[in-house]
Amino acid sequence: MSVKLSIAIIILFNTLTYASVYEKNCITCHKKIPVSIDKYFYRYLLKYSSEVEVKKAIKNYLQNPTQEKTVMAEAFINRFGIKKKSKLSTNDLDSAINDYWQKYKIFGKLQ
Amino acid sequence: MLALKSSVIDLRQSEKKTLIGFFCLYLTLCIVILIFISFVYYKFQKDFMLSQKRIDLQNYSNEFIIKLKQLHINFDKNQLYPRDNRFKTAIYDSDKKMIFSTLQSNKIQLDNIVYTSNNKIHFIKEPESYYLGARYVIMEINDDLVWLSNTQKQIIFFSIGGLIFMLIVGYFLLRLFLKPMRDAMHLLDRFIKDTTHELNTPISAIVANIEMININELDEKLARKIKRIDIGAKTVSNIYEDLTYLTLNNKIMSQNEKLNVSQVIHQRVEYFNTLAAVKKIKFTLNVQNEIYVVMDVKKLSKLLDNLISNAIKYNKVGGFIQIVLKEKYLCIEDSGKGIKKEQLALLYDRYSRFDKTVGGFGIGLNIVSMICKEYDLDINIESKVNSGTKVELQWS
Repeated sequence: MSVKLSIAIIILFNTLTYASVYEKNCITCHKKIPVSIDKYFYRYLLKYSSEVEVKKAIKNYLQNPTQEKTVMAEAFINRFGIKKKSKLSTNDLDSAINDYWQKYKIFGKLQ
Repeated sequence: MLALKSSVIDLRQSEKKTLIGFFCLYLTLCIVILIFISFVYYKFQKDFMLSQKRIDLQNYSNEFIIKLKQLHINFDKNQLYPRDNRFKTAIYDSDKKMIFSTLQSNKIQLDNIVYTSNNKIHFIKEPESYYLGARYVIMEINDDLVWLSNTQKQIIFFSIGGLIFMLIVGYFLLRLFLKPMRDAMHLLDRFIKDTTHELNTPISAIVANIEMININELDEKLARKIKRIDIGAKTVSNIYEDLTYLTLNNKIMSQNEKLNVSQVIHQRVEYFNTLAAVKKIKFTLNVQNEIYVVMDVKKLSKLLDNLISNAIKYNKVGGFIQIVLKEKYLCIEDSGKGIKKEQLALLYDRYSRFDKTVGGFGIGLNIVSMICKEYDLDINIESKVNSGTKVELQWS
């Protein structure tokens, strides 16, 4: 029993240690919201189109979230509110946004 | 040494030159104008075709964007790009980076709206929302090129028609513009013809009557006077013949026959003897007998007369004229003033005279060159200033 518990603790520790900024800081929180994280991405894509513009808009919002900057519908904001300002460093933010882009980008997925 | 260049100057030569120059300029201008008009017409036809196709393309793009919207909404479930048999499409993001394309022509002009590209017609549509990040949606349909072939036919047809019309207009313009020149030339031509005709009878009378006088029976003083009259009459007669040749003879067919050149030379030297005697010029003849050439006798005489009279005219007092005649070769050399090198090139031009101290119209060598050209005679002139001039004729 104690061996199993030890293995579980080690796995959890390793996961937390080696998980990316995106997984640790984005996924974990968004899991709690009923709207999946990819929906935000498509909203950004709909408004900003290119990689550079999308990344710039996400970063801008995360660093200083306001109602004007959000891409989400009013009903969504009314229900879940505006998120808090990100405490991540610029590098971590960039890394997280890069991962987010790579995961959901359209390029190479269309058939 | 100077080889004879093409020097036949007809009265209408300058007319021809002007005509060719004007024609080239006019033709170039007409072609440039026609090219410009054709280009404008082509652009107009192309724009017209594109504006017609644009309506279809606009409808296709609306259909396609609806499908793109559906795909955007359901992208997590379906990633199959919408396709249609009627058209091909491509989507580009706002950085003009291709997201996906089924286009057959990849020459894209995103700054344009509708254009042709490698026999395809492209239409660029910017949707209000960038579904799948597509800022630019490119629609492509085939260009059947019927419009192009029709336009080409029309351009060729109207260009040929236009060119013919402009050439006709040009011809009348040219006639109008050459009229004063032609009038002046005809006036000069008529004047020379009339003058020569009027001169013929009195000159013939003078020359014939002088020949009838037996100089040996006259006293020395009178004989000298008669000789002067003879010289004057022969000079006028020579000029008369030159002018007649220019205005009439070169338009008449030559009556060629086998001529004994040696005989003709002796006759012409005899004829010019009195004229040469005034300047105490001596003839040295080194003439082989029985040298024949097929020519018009009048033209051979005119050729020799002009060369001999020049040799006399530009000779110094007490000088000599040497005439050498061999098989296919004639040389007339004088001990005159000679001609400057730079003037040699202009020697055969009509009315060009380098020494105005002696009389003449400057048509002698022009006539010589015309005769040489007609009979394919090679003429070479060598000259040294203050030493003399050597004219050599060779024929085959």
